[in-house]
Amino acid sequence: MTGDETTAGQAAVTGDETTAGQGAGREAATEGGSVTGSAGVCPVCEAPVLAGDAYCEACGHALGAPACASCGAAAVDAEGYCERCGARQPTGRDHAEIVLGGGAAALTDRGLRRSRNEDAVALLEAGGTIVTVVCDGVGSSPRADEASAAAIETASAALARGLSHEEAFELAGRAVTKLATSLDDAPACTYIAAVVTRDGGVTLGWAGDTRAYLLPAGTMLTEDDAVETGEITAWLGADAEDAGPHVRTLPPGTPGLLLICSDGLWRYLDGYDYPTAGTPLELAREMLRHALASGGQDNVTIALIPLGEAHG
Amino acid sequence: MGDQPAFTLNIDQNKYLPLDGREVHAILTIGSTGAATAEAVPAEAAEVIIIDTSGSMSGSKIREARQAAATAVRTLRDGVHFAVVAGTERAKVVYPGGHANLVRASPATRAEAERAIGRLSAHGGTAIGEWLKLAGHLLTAHPSAIRHAILMTDGQNNERPEVFASVLAGWSGKFVCDSLGVGDDWAPAELRKVAEAMLGTFDFVRDQGDLPEFFRRLTQTSMSKTVAELSLRVWVPQTAQLKFVKQVSPTLLDLTGKRTDVNPLTGDYPTGSWGTEEREYHICVEVPPGQIGQEIRAGWVKLVRPDTQDVLATGNVLAQWTDDLAQSTRINRKVAHYTGQAELHELIQDGLSLRAMGDVEAATARLAKARQLAEESGREDTARLLEKVVEVDPATGTARLRRNVDKADEIELDTGSVRTSRLRKEGN
Repeated sequence: MTGDETTAGQAAVTGDETTAGQGAGREAATEGGSVTGSAGVCPVCEAPVLAGDAYCEACGHALGAPACASCGAAAVDAEGYCERCGARQPTGRDHAEIVLGGGAAALTDRGLRRSRNEDAVALLEAGGTIVTVVCDGVGSSPRADEASAAAIETASAALARGLSHEEAFELAGRAVTKLATSLDDAPACTYIAAVVTRDGGVTLGWAGDTRAYLLPAGTMLTEDDAVETGEITAWLGADAEDAGPHVRTLPPGTPGLLLICSDGLWRYLDGYDYPTAGTPLELAREMLRHALASGGQDNVTIALIPLGEAHG
Repeated sequence: MGDQPAFTLNIDQNKYLPLDGREVHAILTIGSTGAATAEAVPAEAAEVIIIDTSGSMSGSKIREARQAAATAVRTLRDGVHFAVVAGTERAKVVYPGGHANLVRASPATRAEAERAIGRLSAHGGTAIGEWLKLAGHLLTAHPSAIRHAILMTDGQNNERPEVFASVLAGWSGKFVCDSLGVGDDWAPAELRKVAEAMLGTFDFVRDQGDLPEFFRRLTQTSMSKTVAELSLRVWVPQTAQLKFVKQVSPTLLDLTGKRTDVNPLTGDYPTGSWGTEEREYHICVEVPPGQIGQEIRAGWVKLVRPDTQDVLATGNVLAQWTDDLAQSTRINRKVAHYTGQAELHELIQDGLSLRAMGDVEAATARLAKARQLAEESGREDTARLLEKVVEVDPATGTARLRRNVDKADEIELDTGSVRTSRLRKEGN
C-alpha cells in the first residue's frame, strides 16, 4: 500500500510568495478561503505550484492535504504523519468527556507523556440500558488509535442492540482485524465492555488489561490477561488468537459506582482513597487529576456508572 | 514479462529514544517470493562471461577457466542473450565473433560458444576496466533485460587507479557484475571495488579446480533473477539527516553514496536485480531533539521499480521520545547483530591494511579485537581464519601476528569479511 493520497483534491495551496533571496521558511497557514489565481509552493518539496493543481508536479505529493499540528505544512498523509517534519498528528481526542442524563459519565485524556491518545471510550444509553466500552490501543502495534476507535464504535452499537458480550466482542474483533494490511501491520487494542440494565443488573466482557472496579470499596471485578512482567496475552486485532472475552455478571441491585478504566488510571490506584462526593463526572475528573499528578505516563480513560438506583 | 513477484518489507527497530537521543537505527528486511508458475514467462536476461586470458593464466589455470566458461554457457537458459569475452590488456569478444552483439542462447549457439572457448589461450596483460567497458556496451544494447556479467581474474589490474575508478563510476548501475579471484596473486581490494560499484558479489576461488562449479552457481543465480532493478526509496523529515543506507545481509555493501535525489526529502538507492531471495539493509537517521511522548516518522521507506515507479512495499521507521530508560536503552536485536557484523568487517579490513603497511602494533590490536568479536558473536568460520593470522596466548591474553601467513589464508579472511551471518531466530 502507498501512503500517498489518491483523492483528487480541488483546493489550491495558498501561502506566502517565495521571495528571491529569502531562506526557506515554514509554510504559513492561511486563514479563510483560498485566493483565486495565486501561486504557492508545494508543502513537501517547495516547488512552485499553481492554483487549482491537485498534485505537485515535482514530487507527486497531493496538494490540499491537512495541515500539520507541529510545523503547519499542509502535508499530512493518510497514515497521519506529516510529510515535511514527520510528526505524528494528534488523534483529535486529547481530552473528551461524555455525560448521560442519569449521571453516568466518561472521560478520556492523552496523559502527560504521550503525544497522542490511543485510548477510546463509548458511553451511551438505549432503552434504559447503559453501555460503556473502553479500549486501549496496543502501543507496539501500528495505528493503535484506529483499532480502539473501531472497537468501541462497533461493540457499543452491538451491545445497545441487545447482542451478547460474545457477539459484540466478535464484531469488534472483526472491525479491528479489517484495519490490518498483513499480520505484520495489525492494529490492536485491549477491550472491556459493561452493560447495566434497567433492573440494575451488570454484565462485563473483557480481554487484555482494561479493568472494572466496584466503588467505593475499590473491589476489582476483572482479571487481567497479562503475564507477570505486564505484557498482555489477549487483545483485539488480526494477530489475536481466536478466543472469546471473559464474561462476568453481577446480580441486580448491587450498590455502588461501577468504574471502567484503562491502565493509565489503574496503575496509580494502589492505596488510593476514592473520592465519594460529587457527580460521576466530577469524580472522574478528580481521578484523572490523581493520575496526572502521579505521573500521567499513559493515556487515561475512565467511565463511571452509578448502580443500585433506578435510572432511565 | 509474467506476474511480478511479491515483495515484503519488514522493519526492525526500537523506536524509543531517550530525551537527548537523536539517532534512529532500523533494519529493513526485504523478501521476494518470486512465485514462478509453469505459465510464468521468464524474465529477459543478458549475460556476459568474462575470462581473464592474461599471461599468468597459462597452464592449468587457463584449462580450468575454459572449462568454467563452458560450464557457464551450458547453464544458460534458451533465449538468454549472451557473449563470452576474453580479457587481457584489451577486451575481445570470443563469441559471437566479429560483430559486437549478444546472441540468443540455443543448443546450436551454446555448442558454437563452447568450441570458441576451447580455443582460448593465455597471453598479455590485465585491464579489468576494459573488460567491464566492453561487457557494458554489449549488455546495455538490451535495456529491458536483466543484465549481468561474471568476471574472473587471477592477477592484479594493470590500469591506472583513476582510469579504473572512472570506468566503475561510468558503468555503475548499468549492469550487475559478480567477480571471482583465483589463486593467490589477485587483489581483493580491486574486486571489492567492482562488487561495490556494480552491486554484485566477489569471491575467492582457493582451488582452481572449483572454478567451473563457481561459474555454474553464479550463472544459475543470474538465470533465477526475475526483476531487473529495484530501488529503496527513503524519505526523511526536513529537519532530519539520513546518515547511511547499507546492505548488511547477505553481504555488506554501502549504498550511502549511491543516492539519486527524488525530491529534497527523498532519495533512491539502487539494490540491483532480484530473484527469490531475502536481503537486509541498515539505515540510520539523525533527527532533531524531541519532547517526551512526541512521536515522528523518522523515515518512510518504499521499494520502487525505477522503470514503472510502482511501489511494491512500504514501511515506517518511527521515533518516539521517552524518559522510561527500560524502553529507550533496549537495542533491537537485529540492529545490534548487524552493527556488530559491520564492526567486525571494518576491524578485519583495517587490520589487514595496517599489516600490509608494516604497522605491526596497530594491526595486531585490530585483528585481535576482530578475533574476540568473531568468537563472541559465534562467527566460528571467521574466528578460524583470524587465528591463522593472529595468535593469542591463552595464558596471558597477549596477541601477536603470526610470522608466516599463507597468502591464500589472508585472501580468504579479506574476502570473507563482507559475508554476514543471519541472525538466528529465537524466542523473543
